[in-house]
Amino acid sequence: MNHHVLKRKDLFWLALVALMALVPAVSIIAAHSFFMHVLILILLYASMAQAWNIIGGYGGQTSFGHSVFFGIGAYGAGMAVVTYGLSPWPGIGVGMLAAAAVAVLISYPCFKMLSGHYFAIATFAIVEIFNRMFLVWYWVGGALGLDYPMVEEGFKNLMWYDSKTGYYYCALVLFVLIFGIVRFLEGHRFGYYLRAVREGQETAESLGVNSTAVKLTAMALSAALAGLCGAFFVQYNLRVDPGMVMSLDVSMKFVLVTILGGAGTLAGPLLGAAVLIPLQEYTRALWGGLGGGVDLIVFGVLIIVIVVKQPAGISGIVRDVARRFGRRPGAAKGGASVGTS
Amino acid sequence: MALLEVRDVTKKFGELVANDRVSFTVDAGTIVGLIGPNGAGKTTLFNCVSGLYPVTAGRIFFDGAEVTGLPSYRIARMGAVRTFQVVRPLKDMTVFDNVLVGAFLHGAGGAQAREAAESCIELCGLTEYADKPAGDLPIGGKKRLELARALATRPKLLMLDEVMAGLTSTEVKAALELIRHIREKGITLLIVEHVMEAIMPIADKVVVLDGGIKIAEGPPDQIIDDERVISAYLGTKFSRRLQAKREERTNA
Repeated sequence: MNHHVLKRKDLFWLALVALMALVPAVSIIAAHSFFMHVLILILLYASMAQAWNIIGGYGGQTSFGHSVFFGIGAYGAGMAVVTYGLSPWPGIGVGMLAAAAVAVLISYPCFKMLSGHYFAIATFAIVEIFNRMFLVWYWVGGALGLDYPMVEEGFKNLMWYDSKTGYYYCALVLFVLIFGIVRFLEGHRFGYYLRAVREGQETAESLGVNSTAVKLTAMALSAALAGLCGAFFVQYNLRVDPGMVMSLDVSMKFVLVTILGGAGTLAGPLLGAAVLIPLQEYTRALWGGLGGGVDLIVFGVLIIVIVVKQPAGISGIVRDVARRFGRRPGAAKGGASVGTS
Repeated sequence: MALLEVRDVTKKFGELVANDRVSFTVDAGTIVGLIGPNGAGKTTLFNCVSGLYPVTAGRIFFDGAEVTGLPSYRIARMGAVRTFQVVRPLKDMTVFDNVLVGAFLHGAGGAQAREAAESCIELCGLTEYADKPAGDLPIGGKKRLELARALATRPKLLMLDEVMAGLTSTEVKAALELIRHIREKGITLLIVEHVMEAIMPIADKVVVLDGGIKIAEGPPDQIIDDERVISAYLGTKFSRRLQAKREERTNA
């Protein structure tokens, strides 16, 4: 019964991706390095937020620990290149697996024995633990971090020097991959189970859902994808140290972008990133001299405004607007399903 | 061989004994009513059978296997599925998606589960609400949603916790019709109910709890003559009314 609406929505996404794929072909944009940088960051943050959205939005378990998984992914790729002189690819795989393993280890006791806010607190704590651990851990480069050597540019080393086009397409692939995975889950049993557990764990269990297994799987997947984003981040920066990746600042970006955009919706992470990242980058470029954290102040003000106006986030605002302007009686219904499915 | 066997089940909350050595069986294909005054321990017993509470003592068998101490999702997967007295819609999901969650238990493939969900929604008269958020349903609709969702799991034993409480008499009639229909599909039912006129005509057997203890078990026609049940729960006046109804039925 929903198939018609879903198909139309998917077409919209495909058109958007096609449009984004054409962006570097417009030479005026491609030549504008800072603009390309902002686009790449929008895609990266949208992907990060979507990875968080799996457990935080659809699963309803607020994790403040995603910067750890992001960092592990970054170190995976970074160490493959810097420490072992390999291409980043094996490091990306190892990093994703390690991120998932850490996620399962930290969340298993929370999901099995504790409930409510303990998961949030536990994930909060691991950020500080991993940050300190990596700062003093010689093997991973300690406080100095890892600096990339100059190696041949291209897809094999995931590295480009002159133009940002290569990175842009990598970010687009990352975006399509993570959004595609979430879109797939939305329509399948696992996605329904995950939302059911969020809405009522005992109810879900009474219908045969193993809620612990569902949440653990979502957490592992979410962490692995956050790790993948971290690997892209380090390849883009060509440098990583513990403070850049494993920090509460970075963790908050995962949470805020998703919540501002609309947690538990497919479009939310993109909407959140598309609004916040340009704000962050341009405020940083304009007021960077005022010291770090201006972007977080802007985030904070925006959160207050949006949460007061529409707790469902930007996707909720989009839905309301679509409803107001929807002339056909069926339009309101279609608009509503953007938010819920 | 009984589909469900409850053997000497005791459930204590601290010093409070909610169920005290309760034993009964539910045969496949029957409707069993579980009745008793408020606080008799009916819902607690339900929670024990469905795995929501661990039992303090005693054993529970379902479909030839012991299920004592199993988590509720395992019991549900074996085919014993319950509804909740205090309705628990998955609020932000649509009515259809609520039922689909149930249907996925025996149909990982989407199309098959969607079909099952649609037919359960139709059976429970929720078609017009299918695309609405479940939280927006009126109370009668939420009760039917509980039923539709449990039914969609294709249970062997369906445990209904006061699905008829708070419904209008027309709605009760419709619900009874539905329960008969469910039995015809071969599903065994265990029903906690306060509405006596509703449960008496459809139950094959009634189990009466009072103060956590089983005080009677038998066909409804015998239960309404039982002195202990009359004094504990039905009351003299009400049992006369039920007895008169029985006479009417036998004379007709």
